[in-house]
Amino acid sequence: MKSRSNAGQAAVWQARLIMLVMINIAQLWILAATVEAALARHYSVLLPLVVASGVCFVITLSIIKWWRPTSQKKTSTGYVREDR
Amino acid sequence: MTKNLSDERDVRAATEPFQAEFPYERDEEAQVTRREFCNFLGLTSAALFLGASGFAAKVALDARESESLAATHIEGAEVLAPNSSLNFNYPSERDSAILVRTADGAYHAYGQKCTHLSCPVYYSRGHQRLECPCHEGAFDAATGNVLYGPPPRALDTIEIEMREGQVWATGRSASAPKDGG
Repeated sequence: MKSRSNAGQAAVWQARLIMLVMINIAQLWILAATVEAALARHYSVLLPLVVASGVCFVITLSIIKWWRPTSQKKTSTGYVREDR
Repeated sequence: MTKNLSDERDVRAATEPFQAEFPYERDEEAQVTRREFCNFLGLTSAALFLGASGFAAKVALDARESESLAATHIEGAEVLAPNSSLNFNYPSERDSAILVRTADGAYHAYGQKCTHLSCPVYYSRGHQRLECPCHEGAFDAATGNVLYGPPPRALDTIEIEMREGQVWATGRSASAPKDGG
């Protein structure tokens, strides 16, 4: 049972990492698009691009701060596994 | 008798005398944990967001500034041969520009930054056009319009005037994008 739990946690961590990497790649693309739009003087698309980047950042923060494996709970000293 | 090193503390104790001369931190070489990597990705995300918003804010502020530019004499323009070019700085010393004298003897001046990704354009005498070497874009020497390649709009135009036989730069105007956005 313990090994299944560990495997589940590893899978959650792996999923978080993959999502974070994908969001970073999207933000990199948004930054490149922002630079191109600015140089082309397409000012109307600058704000949507910045907002999109901000949304990506908020999602990243939420993944890092709140999306944890359910078998972990936060304590004053860090994250420990709950006894079941 | 040599003592076997069993764990990190033993290694640290054994290498301690050398730490002063070779301050090598083993911890820095340790494997990155998933949590550290997640935090790194979070910082990267913040940096990308700040980069995009900062760049957009700077460009938007620059576009709002309506500066009155002082007229500047372009040194050496009078002796410029037809079908050749001359580099100068306008409106400030940091802004490079290019003066082109076409084969018919007319003067045209443009900001030297390509409108694609700001590489400096140069005058190709053989093709009689301005070319960007970075991504193979080209501009008309007489109008500054895009002939081909990735640039989304024409070069910034520098207005010039002839004053007592001398060529003066008097202003600068940016072109609108092709699709009017």
